[in-house]
Amino acid sequence: MKPDSHQLPDNAIGAPNSQSPSDTPEHVAELIHRVAQKDRQAFALLYQATATKLLGTVLRILRDRGWADDVIQDSYLKIWQKAEQFQDGKSSPITWLVSIARNSAIDELRKHPAGRTTNSDELDEMPGRQSTAQEQLEDQQAANKLNHCIDQLEKDRQDMVRLAYLNGWSREDLASQFEQPVNTVKTWLHRALKQIKRCLES
Amino acid sequence: MTERDDLDMLVAEFVLGTLPAQEREYVETRRREDPEVEALILQWEERLGRLAEETEPVQPSPALFAKIEKALDRIESTARKAAETSNVVALRSQLTRWRWSTAVASAAALVLMAVLVLQPQPTPETQSFVAVFQHNDEQPAFLLTVDLKEQRLNIRPVTAEPRPGKSYQLWIKADELGPNPRSVGVLGNDFKLDEGALRSYDPALLKEATFGISVEPEGGSPTGQPTGPAIHGYLYPTDGNNQ
Repeated sequence: MKPDSHQLPDNAIGAPNSQSPSDTPEHVAELIHRVAQKDRQAFALLYQATATKLLGTVLRILRDRGWADDVIQDSYLKIWQKAEQFQDGKSSPITWLVSIARNSAIDELRKHPAGRTTNSDELDEMPGRQSTAQEQLEDQQAANKLNHCIDQLEKDRQDMVRLAYLNGWSREDLASQFEQPVNTVKTWLHRALKQIKRCLES
Repeated sequence: MTERDDLDMLVAEFVLGTLPAQEREYVETRRREDPEVEALILQWEERLGRLAEETEPVQPSPALFAKIEKALDRIESTARKAAETSNVVALRSQLTRWRWSTAVASAAALVLMAVLVLQPQPTPETQSFVAVFQHNDEQPAFLLTVDLKEQRLNIRPVTAEPRPGKSYQLWIKADELGPNPRSVGVLGNDFKLDEGALRSYDPALLKEATFGISVEPEGGSPTGQPTGPAIHGYLYPTDGNNQ
């Protein structure tokens, strides 16, 4: 499969991060618990509250609308089936849902790496997104802390972490972009991840 | 670097998304078998999760949810049918699909399994559990019923067919039994298994255990461990309203 290159519009990123009551973490958590009871109405509400977020995440990784739709379908079926495993204390609900979708998207991408190509435009998007996101999240302590910790990394490694997490780049993609052997990339990623972990714990 | 550090980094890269396909599959297999791996994954997802806020939302097409609902109808009706064939129609069922494979199993060898969960009640008459072992999204392959009170099991094929030169083998796995699955028994040609095969297990253990069926060389696994593609799932403690 060789999907069309799909670039996301950049204009949405600066929009205020307003949360309607339907997508507060508490409400989403409650919906997940109801879905665990096989409540179809709650499933529809959960989809309404979260599908834009999950599709944004998956589309940014796969860059193909049809492909992303398939992965979203698969993700919501998984959510239906795994809802009973969700535990409030261990996961924040949005992160839990996004992780299911991201994992499906990345699994797809690793299985069909030819489905998309990475390009340096994606790299150029990074610094802008970062600062906008920081402004946007100024009052969100946890995000600030993660951003702060990522900002402590060397510039290349900041980009690597974001390209991997947000755009689904593999070690190989990063190696060719940053002109480093794959093993060096792996070492850098491990150092970066350890540094982030230490920083978040400090 | 310690083994624990290695595992932590493997999981961290899994969550970051940079692992190659095979290593991802390895982590996904381990997460189903090892609660520690699952816990590490959740921790890393929480650490990095806020990064996702940098991605802007995208409106799905209106048709997508209808498609999802249709797919869900199919899954649910499969679950219902399976429940009917096991004479437990009245019991409310929950369905969990598992995807399980060894790190080397090819995608084609993957078999899906669904577990029907019957809710336990504090009363002694509902001591029966059922699991559905499923080839794909459509058709259940096996149905396993366990009567906890009598420690009796009944396994019956739904769509599973004999495979020449191969045997199906039933496994049990529980924390108390150590890290590896234990064989419950090899299914005979008529798919029958001694109904008392679980008698030596404590009912409390059975409630928490994971069951699996694997495809093995004729007569059963030569190694004492599953060697072929397998399907896994829990028999949940059942109860109408304990959630």
